[in-house]
Amino acid sequence: MSNPASGNPCVGIIANPVSARDVRRVIANASTLQLTDRVNIILRALAALRALGVRQVLMMPDKVGISSLLLRGLARERTLGNAMPDVAFLTMEITSSAEDTRCAVRLMRAAGVCSILVLGGDGTHRAVVRELYLGSTADAPRIPIAGLSTGTNNAFPEMRESTVTALAVGLHATGRIPAERALAGNKLLEIDVNGGAIRDIAIVDAAVAFDRFIGARAMWKPDNLHSLFLAFGEPTAVGLSAIGGLLQPVSPRAPGGLAIRFGDGRAGSAGAIELTVPFAPGLIRSVQIAAWTAIEAGQALPVDLPGGSMALDGERELVFAEGDAVTVTLRENAFPTVDVPGCLHFAAQHGLFRHPATSQ
Amino acid sequence: MARRISLKTAVNEAIDQAMQLDPTVIMLGEDIVGGAGAPGEMDAWGGVLGVTKGLYAKHGDRLLDTPLSESAYVGAAIGAACCGMRPIAELMFIDFMGVCFDQIFNQAAKFRYMFGGKAETPVVIRCMVGAGFRAAAQHSQMLTPLFTHIPGLKVVCPSTPYDTKGLLMQSIRDNDPVIFCEHKNLYALEGDVPEAPYAIPFGEANVVREGRDVTIVTYGLMVHRSLEAAATLAKEGIDVEIVDLRTLSPLDIDTVLESVTRTGRLVCVDEASPRCNIATDIAAQVAMHAFKALKAQIEQVAPPHTPVPFSPTLEDLYIPSAAQIAQAVRRTTGGK
Amino acid sequence: MAANNPFPLSRDALLGCYRRMRTIREFEDRLHIDFGRGDIPGFVHLYAGEEAAAVGIMSHLGDGDRIASTHRGHGHCIAKGVDVGAMMKEIYGRKGGSCEGKGGSMHIADLSKGMMGANGILGAGAPLVCGAALAAKFRGKGEIAICFVGDGASNQGTFLESLNLAAIWNLPALFVVENNGYAESTSRDYATAVNSYVDRASGFGLPGVVVDGTDFFAVHEAAGEIIRRAREGGGPSLLECKMVRFHGHFEGDAQTYRANGELEDLRANHDCLKKLAAQLTSAGVASAAELADIDRQVLALIEQAVVDAKAAPLPSAADLLTDVYVKY
Ligand SMILES: Cc1ncc(C[n+]2csc(CCOP(=O)(O)OP(=O)(O)O)c2C)c(N)n1
Ligand SMILES: [Mg+2]
Repeated sequence: MSNPASGNPCVGIIANPVSARDVRRVIANASTLQLTDRVNIILRALAALRALGVRQVLMMPDKVGISSLLLRGLARERTLGNAMPDVAFLTMEITSSAEDTRCAVRLMRAAGVCSILVLGGDGTHRAVVRELYLGSTADAPRIPIAGLSTGTNNAFPEMRESTVTALAVGLHATGRIPAERALAGNKLLEIDVNGGAIRDIAIVDAAVAFDRFIGARAMWKPDNLHSLFLAFGEPTAVGLSAIGGLLQPVSPRAPGGLAIRFGDGRAGSAGAIELTVPFAPGLIRSVQIAAWTAIEAGQALPVDLPGGSMALDGERELVFAEGDAVTVTLRENAFPTVDVPGCLHFAAQHGLFRHPATSQ
Repeated sequence: MARRISLKTAVNEAIDQAMQLDPTVIMLGEDIVGGAGAPGEMDAWGGVLGVTKGLYAKHGDRLLDTPLSESAYVGAAIGAACCGMRPIAELMFIDFMGVCFDQIFNQAAKFRYMFGGKAETPVVIRCMVGAGFRAAAQHSQMLTPLFTHIPGLKVVCPSTPYDTKGLLMQSIRDNDPVIFCEHKNLYALEGDVPEAPYAIPFGEANVVREGRDVTIVTYGLMVHRSLEAAATLAKEGIDVEIVDLRTLSPLDIDTVLESVTRTGRLVCVDEASPRCNIATDIAAQVAMHAFKALKAQIEQVAPPHTPVPFSPTLEDLYIPSAAQIAQAVRRTTGGK
Repeated sequence: MAANNPFPLSRDALLGCYRRMRTIREFEDRLHIDFGRGDIPGFVHLYAGEEAAAVGIMSHLGDGDRIASTHRGHGHCIAKGVDVGAMMKEIYGRKGGSCEGKGGSMHIADLSKGMMGANGILGAGAPLVCGAALAAKFRGKGEIAICFVGDGASNQGTFLESLNLAAIWNLPALFVVENNGYAESTSRDYATAVNSYVDRASGFGLPGVVVDGTDFFAVHEAAGEIIRRAREGGGPSLLECKMVRFHGHFEGDAQTYRANGELEDLRANHDCLKKLAAQLTSAGVASAAELADIDRQVLALIEQAVVDAKAAPLPSAADLLTDVYVKY
């Protein structure tokens, strides 16, 4: 395939080495994607990118083993004579925390990547989007992301073969598909504590819990929930967004979101209804629902619990105390993603993968 | 030209020269380079006590740091030895043999015989032996008898820097598996060592002190305790001969028999536990082959039949002392 | 204040855990000084920096639950309730020590507390824990056994064999990988091909969980779940605690394999004790003054332990020969 690429496109890859490692493995037989599998996913994506003419890839480094296994894999491919992009690891301090993801996004943005391929769960994607959304100026180009699910119960990234996702990323990066056809806009929830003292986001769900500590992070006890805000929730989901999905589904592309108030089982006041949901993979639980309502973009909705914690996309992230003013605001078309099916349909329609037959 | 160097340096020099002379010599062990994959200095340690420090700078990747997997890397050294290399595996403390014993006594030791003389396994397994380091029961043993017992293994335990270099060079050249035992309390000992490479043949005991009255047979650190005892006894008019076995397998029993035949008295000194050790083996062989020469019953000086204790007070009591050796000698001479 | 406690433990329990962590820190920092002075013989491996793991896990255990420790065992001992005075005497090689001076730092054990011993042989604890768990299973009282293993020692065959054994027998055995990034001077990145202990566990059919081992609450919560599961017959699992060691591999280690500034950063930003203190005070569970009071009491306890250890009698010649066998 000839390469009409504008310049020398560079794609960023952020692979979370430790997603899908939390306590749900023990509580609910949640699966864990092995490092070797994660690296194989990346190698397949790299092969697809290279096939479309992407020669430069910037990779987040890690100390958990993705980098070292990937280097071994690339060396092997080179020895075998298989074409791969040049993979450069970002020069950055590795903290083995979500800060690595944020730092990698900053460096990738500075390096001018066309897009970022993200491997991980909702949490990893949230970290990437958070940095892109909160950390960029209004006039900066909005870097699209393409997600591959490796996490526990992911509503945001798609379960898709990385080869295909990478083909879509490659079609966009090399300019074969115009941005307006290749990309899609996404909603998010903006969280604000005390008028901007703390700002955070969730790309799927923001859950308010009675717990006032972070602990093992994962949110897996339905009894501790106070309320829930959803950017979207589909009935086929697993996890917090499934609660909305089974009550009143909102798709990722539709306008508006959902707010849910749980029955405070603790105070003895039962909810209006009881809903059975797949709370985590393999963990079907009943939750008490007191009320739910559709929400519109742009409205700052207050969290009316005097002290508690918020789980953003499934992980307890922030603790607030009595007197803290916490609001949640839905934003639409807040960040772009590569529309993988859209890109490939476009490619098919326009014959982007067709070539004149080679004479024998 | 000889200079005075420590026993520790002698080990380092022997490996260095063997690597220079023979490209098939490689070395494997935990932290022998030290600092692999770490952000700081690459050869930060050079072995847990710094014995191999500096070798990485000279020989690079021929020294391989290993994971904490003794079965795997000692076994790998043995496998490589069957396939044209001369690996040195360092096991840190001989106590860790427990983890990889199968590879040594069922594999390395057996190949040649079991395969009808068709295999050669030129591997050296270096390790620290002996008590006195306050390192307690699992880092202080003198397990030399365990290996000496097994046909197919050679066992070396030098007492001086000179012997260390020569015997280690020989161990690396030797075409059989060798267990090379370095006494951790002798590392600092200094002695004259020629700079040029040289090898000391196996199976040649060294008479480190000549004497008429009593023969002490020993090896390792106990050579020095015996020399101390001999100095005391000399003042009492007892003239002691000391045989340093140097290699426990093969064993130079001829030198022992020759000496006992002359002196008529035998004291066997061993840092290994008292049952079925090197001392009892020597005693038995002398009783079998030179019984008529004996003028007194054979004496053994060895630690008690206990694990090595931690408390310095107890450990000092545990290790055979010069006084105990002297006392044993006096028993053979009736105090004369 | 107690009414306002946001944490899943009572105020008393929290302060108890803080006290244990502080005790370990003080004990180790004191040994560091005394070793430097030449007061302490032998090999001493300090647990400072890793306290949240030992205490976060051990706070779920009783004396009937067994643990097998490592060469870096002081923290496990203290967290499991071994007497600090007896430990100090042991390290000083005195009579009245946990092992009557015969074991030393690397072999402290107290079977009455379910502490099956620190261990000088890497990976040795894992099979023993399978045995302890098997015994617990036969006794049927819901007791469990936990093996602590370093990231380095996790490459021992014994450890991997034990994961399999625990899995096929569904033993109430837990494997805690204390991942501090180093084995002596060698980095985990170099020595371990697939750098995820959870992946290893999955290879044997065990679930595995990773937690920030410098966060007491993270360890406590995850450990609580895997321990409950094991007690209820759910079988073995693995917990990886990512942690940091504040001192050298052993005392006397110059640590030139570390990056410049690495230790300073660990102490400033990854100190589990500082983190716990901040969590307790900012939640209003305890005041800084109350914690300082505990610190003072702990300091006095350790000071007394050292004084007592130095004053304790040395073992006598007769002690050399006792306790080789039960009967001989
Ligand atoms: C079988 C065995 N091999 C080697 C050693 C020497 N040794 C003691 S501690 C250690 C490193 C252990 O590293 P790790 O398991 O990560 O534990 P850490 O020291 O980091 O707590 C080594 C190599 C030993 N004690 N036992
Ligand atoms: Mg370690």
